[in-house]
Amino acid sequence: MRGVSAAGIKHDRLHTMIDEQALDWVIRIRDPDFSDWEDFTQWLEADPAHGSAYDRLADWDEGLPAMVPPARPLPQPANDPGEPGWKRWRTGGFATAAAAVLAVGVYMAVPRADPYTVSTGAGEQREVALADGTRIALNGDTSLRLDRKNPRFAALDRGEAVFTVRHDEANPFRVNVGNAVLQDAGTVFNVTRVGGVMRVGVSEGKVIFNPEAQAIDLPAGKALRLAESNGTATTFAIAHDAVASWQHGQLVFDNAPIGDVAADIGRNLGVTVRADPAVSARTFTGTIGLDRDASRFFGAAAPLMGLAAARQGDAWVLKEGDGASR
Amino acid sequence: MRLRERDIGPVSDPLPYLHRMANNLMLDRYRSSIRREKREQEWSGGGDMGERSPEPSADDRLVAAERLERVRQELDGLGARVALVFRRFRLDGVGQKAIAEELGVSLTTVEKDLQKAYRALANLKDSFDAE
Repeated sequence: MRGVSAAGIKHDRLHTMIDEQALDWVIRIRDPDFSDWEDFTQWLEADPAHGSAYDRLADWDEGLPAMVPPARPLPQPANDPGEPGWKRWRTGGFATAAAAVLAVGVYMAVPRADPYTVSTGAGEQREVALADGTRIALNGDTSLRLDRKNPRFAALDRGEAVFTVRHDEANPFRVNVGNAVLQDAGTVFNVTRVGGVMRVGVSEGKVIFNPEAQAIDLPAGKALRLAESNGTATTFAIAHDAVASWQHGQLVFDNAPIGDVAADIGRNLGVTVRADPAVSARTFTGTIGLDRDASRFFGAAAPLMGLAAARQGDAWVLKEGDGASR
Repeated sequence: MRLRERDIGPVSDPLPYLHRMANNLMLDRYRSSIRREKREQEWSGGGDMGERSPEPSADDRLVAAERLERVRQELDGLGARVALVFRRFRLDGVGQKAIAEELGVSLTTVEKDLQKAYRALANLKDSFDAE
């Protein structure tokens, strides 16, 4: 039963055609792909009541997130690591487990998309060519989901990839990274998603971060770092050859937290690298040449960062420097 | 409005961008005028401004919590997919096309789900206002 207020009377004031039309415009305009501004303008000009209705409902829409509670989480069913849709809803933070199960069911039972996954092991690199001419180069330990029915879509679940997108403004390319969306019409950009942090650096063209929400423009030479736990996004400048330097056997850092540096090194070498908490928030600026030999690599790289590197079983730890690596 | 390339970077197609900026500006002005009207009404309403405490009363908080719960029930009552589509769109900021891709449904389905959700919430808002 719906629509019965505390007073027992069913309120249904949204019966006026103008309010319904205005609400439809509010919804459509909130979408990033919306481009029917001419139609909207015509509708606005047809009657002054249209503009008032739209303003009122758009204002109400602005306040909606404060009025809508996140979904109530239900006891978690067993997590199937093979189901990427399920994993994403779990980290989404807003969807119920029940809704997620339903979404997975719908996703699998009504496959209008034709999804497939491309992934690489630690230290492995791979290149994918899409039907529209877009090329994606995957770095190590990366998992990327694509759709055979839609070459203008990708989802980076984990790892790092460079996207060289074929130019098509009418149909921009969209990359889902967790809850974030990167949209672009034709550019070259690098995306990393590791350890709850997303980084995107643009070397050519322009990428829009979350076009529906913050809509941050990232032109060539700009990068953005997103902390997924709290949604904080910071932008910074990035040199052209730093954007996907991993493709050329180098890692270029500019005020990068050592925690991020450790993750990047690990992904490229194919080993686990951690940063000691005492040093992980420090920043590093410089270029590090990659080397398959981990001991030799750390012997050169650690002192460069003013740190020391120590072996712990199969993993390496970056910690307070003493001038020599063990 | 002038777009300076230096400030915003290269824009592939300035026209939709301009439209959206202009729309946002108009909405900002609308909001400012509403706030100004409210302020003027309060000032002309007499001198109880000093007595009003900045903290919401226990009653206010109760009503707010109750309304949040009614919104949750209304939304979830529309069905799991409709609620999910609405939250992905309005709270997570995901576009309709991306949502359709994620769920493997048609764009039309997403559009209809959003219309359902928005209308239900707008009706609920009118109920609140009438209370």
